[in-house]
Amino acid sequence: MRAKKIMSSPEFAQAAAEEMINSRSFWADARIRFFKNKMAVISVTLLFGLVLFASFGQFFAQWSYEEIDWSVLGRVKEAGGPSLENGHYFGVDELGRDLYARVVQGSRVSLLVGFLAAIIAVCIGATMGAIAGYYGGRTDQIIVGALNITLSIPYIIFFVVWQAFFGRSLMQMILVMVIINWTAGLLIVRGQVQTLKNKEFVDAARMLGMSDAKIIFKHILPNMLWVIVIYMSISIPEMIMYESLVSFLGVGIQEPNTSWGALISEGAKTMTFGTLWQLLYPAAFFVIAQVSLYYIGDGLRDALDPKERS
Amino acid sequence: MLNYTLRRLMAVIPTILILIVFCFFLMRLAPGGPFTSERPLPPAVMKNVLERYGLDEPLYVQLWTYLKNIILHFDFGPSFSQKDRTVNDLIAQGFPVTLTYGFFSALFVLALGVPLGVIAALRHNSFWDYVMTGLAIFSQIFPNFVLAPIMVLLFTLSWGLLPGGGWNGGQWPYVIMPAVALGTSYMASVARLTRGSLLETLSAGYIRTARAKGLPERTVLIRHALKPALLPVISYMGPVFVYMITGSVFIDIFFSTGGIGQNFIDAAYTRDYAVILGLAILYSVLTFALLLIVDLIYAWIDPKIRSGL
Amino acid sequence: MTLLSVQDLSIRFRTPDGYVHAVNNVSFDIEEGEKLAVVGESGSGKSQIALAILGLLANNAEASGRILYKGQNLLDLPRREMNKIRAKEISIIFQDPMSSLNPYMTVERQLNEILELHEGLRGRAARSRVLEVMEAVQIPDAKNRLKSYPHEFSGGMRQRIVIAMALLCRPKLILADEPTTALDVTVQAQIMHLLEDIQKEYGSSIMLITHDLGVVAGFCNETLVLYGGRVMERAGTAAIFAAPAHPYTRGLMRAVPNIHDPSATLQSIPGQPPNQTRPLVHCPFAGRCGDSLEACFDILPELSPAPHQRACIRAVEELT
Ligand SMILES: Nc1ncnc2c1ncn2[C@@H]1O[C@H](COP(=O)(O)OP(=O)(O)O)[C@@H](O)[C@H]1O
Ligand SMILES: [Mg+2]
Repeated sequence: MRAKKIMSSPEFAQAAAEEMINSRSFWADARIRFFKNKMAVISVTLLFGLVLFASFGQFFAQWSYEEIDWSVLGRVKEAGGPSLENGHYFGVDELGRDLYARVVQGSRVSLLVGFLAAIIAVCIGATMGAIAGYYGGRTDQIIVGALNITLSIPYIIFFVVWQAFFGRSLMQMILVMVIINWTAGLLIVRGQVQTLKNKEFVDAARMLGMSDAKIIFKHILPNMLWVIVIYMSISIPEMIMYESLVSFLGVGIQEPNTSWGALISEGAKTMTFGTLWQLLYPAAFFVIAQVSLYYIGDGLRDALDPKERS
Repeated sequence: MLNYTLRRLMAVIPTILILIVFCFFLMRLAPGGPFTSERPLPPAVMKNVLERYGLDEPLYVQLWTYLKNIILHFDFGPSFSQKDRTVNDLIAQGFPVTLTYGFFSALFVLALGVPLGVIAALRHNSFWDYVMTGLAIFSQIFPNFVLAPIMVLLFTLSWGLLPGGGWNGGQWPYVIMPAVALGTSYMASVARLTRGSLLETLSAGYIRTARAKGLPERTVLIRHALKPALLPVISYMGPVFVYMITGSVFIDIFFSTGGIGQNFIDAAYTRDYAVILGLAILYSVLTFALLLIVDLIYAWIDPKIRSGL
Repeated sequence: MTLLSVQDLSIRFRTPDGYVHAVNNVSFDIEEGEKLAVVGESGSGKSQIALAILGLLANNAEASGRILYKGQNLLDLPRREMNKIRAKEISIIFQDPMSSLNPYMTVERQLNEILELHEGLRGRAARSRVLEVMEAVQIPDAKNRLKSYPHEFSGGMRQRIVIAMALLCRPKLILADEPTTALDVTVQAQIMHLLEDIQKEYGSSIMLITHDLGVVAGFCNETLVLYGGRVMERAGTAAIFAAPAHPYTRGLMRAVPNIHDPSATLQSIPGQPPNQTRPLVHCPFAGRCGDSLEACFDILPELSPAPHQRACIRAVEELT
């Protein structure tokens, strides 16, 4: 009886919720664990470097990414290689455009699309998972059914069909990727919420007459933050890969705009002509991004996932 | 079991129908069409063309004709962009190619991934574990569209060992690179999954029981551990097949194999509705069929599910 | 006749944070036909001793000392030789019937493979033997349930199957590691009766691991009390119950709720379980002992001679 009384007091609810949400030591511990992981720290540095490169790289470019350097056109193989003298640090592409400027632009597009699509998708997935887990029953069935259908769609097919008919703007691309990936993290959040919703602080909040939405967004989702962070770190490289693959197929980003995938595709097409730099520079950026995102994801998982700990 | 299979089939057929109808309307409603180009056709010619492809009729009639032809005659209609060719022609020509290297790719994924994972689990914490970590990272950073150019760079341009594209009737040198490029990253995932799952299984209580019976370690592994350890791998094959179908589009294009992926992307460029729709249906049916097979195998192996069916 | 002799057995585990010393210089004998109870709170090393006997310790374990069985040291036995002893001469019943049966194999196959391995029995001969044992452990309708999978049985039935497995070759020694802990109280009693009957019929020795003193009193003729991986007391069960001679045993007795005296409250022994990350240098129980002296933190008491063995520097009369 006494326990009941304490539990239903507003102070208890407040305290319990705050403890779970702010649980300072949890995030502080996680941070310490993460920064102990050497590969993760190196990767964060690398990724930060990439972001800087994408943001400010164009200030160091001698050419814009659309401009054609007529002086090397037609003899790209002989004169178009990487050189500091003519300002093409990474050489030029098949059309005589500055590869450095194009890689900067491509990094921008790839990172932007990857991050935006992943963040939006995981937010949707987590919310849907929370709703499915919290309400259960019919709602749960519908959401899980939708998830199963989504998972069984070969995403490229969907992507191509969509882009073919609704055009190929950056917005459309992010939209499709969100549609394809809205299930990221859904199942795990759903599972966690199913266990969390029976915890005392949620009971307390319910007894205090809090609305369901408020309970989900204020009390349950914050407790899931670590899942969300982990899933974002997994989804970002995946999204970057989707974008690159689609651009590689020529149905992604449109010329003269570009992305890593589009650049790799151009490089791969021309590698038989001996202009290998056109493949290697963009591929190197892509690989660096993927490797560092991999290790960041790994480090976050080790630092945050209670299962991985202990 | 039979009941379950039928039930699953019953669920798949409406799903595919809905998908067809959805795609059909999506395409007809989308702005532009196969015959809108920079230079508009003279109205008379346009009328002629539309009539020829039945595009002048009301939408529901078009849909009905389309569905009827598919169901009764397995006929997906004529291609809009390639004169005198039907969608059926394109599929008959391209699909066997895609299916061939796809099959070998799946074989490669399982025949290499599973043993690698088993070895890594048995030689836990050794050299093989590093191999495994290496593979995991490798598969992350070298997805098929990065791996394929690199393979061509090495095996074709540098060493001249394998042809860098083409199909040539499916002779094996032409099949190897598409199959390997398509499968490598999934092979790595399968190996990693096998390793983790076998390690977990080996720590299960019933494995200790099996050892306590006096069975030699090899029997413990083969008779008691392998099946449960492979269950997660089997269910992972569902998504892998979906990914591989996706990847085949890229492989078809990069290696110019002449598979259906090439037709699909070409059709997307030219807005050839008939081909896109036909191939999208084919891809979906293939996906559902493979997912169903995976589920059936899983259910057949796991007695808990089997008896519940 | 001594069947099995454990001498100076120590088990430690390599972990990322250093060694965990789970069992420390434990010695005891099991006589033929004896029913020995090993009691102690969880974590005291009971299961590890049983696993060590059959060579089933985890990979990160290091065992020292000797376990003598028929003149050979089981700790040094190569796997091939050990396999001939497992299930055939010494069998084990694990605690959790839910996880100790393979969920992907029929019960019959799991039983058959033992007979095939150790006695070369197959087909009809094997089946009649399996049925005989399944009837002995009172599985109703055994004949029709041979082709069933473990999940089709209740917990109690599964434990009976596990017991049947342990009995199949009529082993000399059965190690029963908390065979009833995971089961309902009513089922517990049935299973204990079953074990008792079977032990009588087969004449095997039993080492019963448990933390239920009620079970010990009704079933075993000898009792060994373990704490912190070390023997605290060892004597005939009657003697231990009549006059527990170690403070830890006394604590355990007090912790048992008394069904005859409802007013008696359940007492748990206050304090933390011992730190196992360092080798023992003094009595592991000293920190929680109501009778400890300063000397208890300096000396690691040896076991006194039989019949009533105890490891305590204080005289029995001085204990509270
Ligand atoms: N593989 C292992 N690695 C590290 N420590 C272990 C391992 N297995 C058991 N232990 C430790 O050994 C001690 C004794 O365990 P156990 O014999 O299972 O206790 P119980 O008396 O409850 O059966 C425990 O403290 C446990 O933490
Ligand atoms: Mg135990």
